[in-house]
Amino acid sequence: MDYENRQAPEGINTDAEHPLRLFLRLAFAAVALLLIIVLVLQFSGGWLAKRIPFRTEQAIIEKMGIDFGDEADSAEILDYLNSLAQRLLTNMPRRESLDVVVHYSSDETFNAFATIGGNLLFYRGLLERIPHENALAMVLAHEIAHVLHRDPVAGLGGGVASTVAIAVLSGNAGSGVAGKVIGRAGVLGGMEFTRRMEREADRAGLAAVAAVYGHVAGAEALFQLVADQRGESKVPAWLARFTSTHPLDADRIRSIARHAEESGWSDEGVVTPLPAGFDEWLESGS
Amino acid sequence: MYEAAFFLLLLLLGYGFGRLAERRHFARLVVREREMNTLPAIASRYPPTDRAYAQHLVGGNVVVSSDYFKSFVAGLVNIFGGRVAPYESLIDRARREAVLRMKDEAHGLQATYVFNVKFETTRIAVGRTGAMEVLAYGTAMIPSTGDS
Repeated sequence: MDYENRQAPEGINTDAEHPLRLFLRLAFAAVALLLIIVLVLQFSGGWLAKRIPFRTEQAIIEKMGIDFGDEADSAEILDYLNSLAQRLLTNMPRRESLDVVVHYSSDETFNAFATIGGNLLFYRGLLERIPHENALAMVLAHEIAHVLHRDPVAGLGGGVASTVAIAVLSGNAGSGVAGKVIGRAGVLGGMEFTRRMEREADRAGLAAVAAVYGHVAGAEALFQLVADQRGESKVPAWLARFTSTHPLDADRIRSIARHAEESGWSDEGVVTPLPAGFDEWLESGS
Repeated sequence: MYEAAFFLLLLLLGYGFGRLAERRHFARLVVREREMNTLPAIASRYPPTDRAYAQHLVGGNVVVSSDYFKSFVAGLVNIFGGRVAPYESLIDRARREAVLRMKDEAHGLQATYVFNVKFETTRIAVGRTGAMEVLAYGTAMIPSTGDS
């Protein structure tokens, strides 16, 4: 009997498709799939979370017993912030049950945010850089708008739903690099959701400022302040636009100017100075 | 930002070097296989009975690991299913290389055939990507000296 090994033709056990082509095809499909899942879950999770009564939100926060800021020693600044908040709130379309409480922290953090239960926290680091009341009113109105739109609870609900989905999908892609990248991309997808919230809060906030002061002069000072604080960014604008939770400062300034023009609000007017003791009030908490 | 750049760099390096190594290896495999085809490796359990042979166990094993690019693409395939093409070429190379190493050993023993050839694979955990061992072994048939 004759035995022989014939040379087998090449390509039987390998795929003819170019590896880069395969990579691009799969990467494109994975990103598309991920974006769809994250957006659907962000919206549906957010939509469901908004069904939670505001009172429940407040009760949860109360039960958790979170201490926002330094309440005891900052009576004056709290009075001022809360009365300004109420002035703005009465000029914003809202459901009666929704209310806000402003808290103050003497921490140097340059930030202010709204969280569930209508709680707003303002840090000294931001407040001490605010040039006038109009800019402060813009931040306050922006954060109040988040509460009125139920953004904190929607963000939480949508965030939890999409985080679970991303974890499942990235787990499927293996514990290696692909899984990690998928997870990262999913988080980026979710950011479009928060950017949309920010844009809407900007618009609602601007409307409240216009209603209270009769003009929107000084409102853009806030974003200028944020931009200065952030400093020169090394990340190119087109990339930052996609990878940031907030719209770009320059985009926001342009966008509120356009919105003011469309709505017929004057961007010229006298800005209201901050009350005389403002700086001392800030000190009191520390 | 830096992380993304680093990731792309690794992906690019993985692709570039992985592809280059694969091409060169396939070219070498073809040449060596042609040379070694004079020493057939046969899967049959029934050796020729035309003459007396000394029998000797021979084997060749290869451990292969994936590169960054292949692992990444394989991870993506895991989502949608289908052929894990990046690993197919890798395993093909490993299997053919293992056979050649087995034949090299048999050739050194002046064997004329290798019978009862079998393959085994084992997964070896190396870091997160892992590696695969492919073992080819068989019985080298060495014509007995003194037998005409």
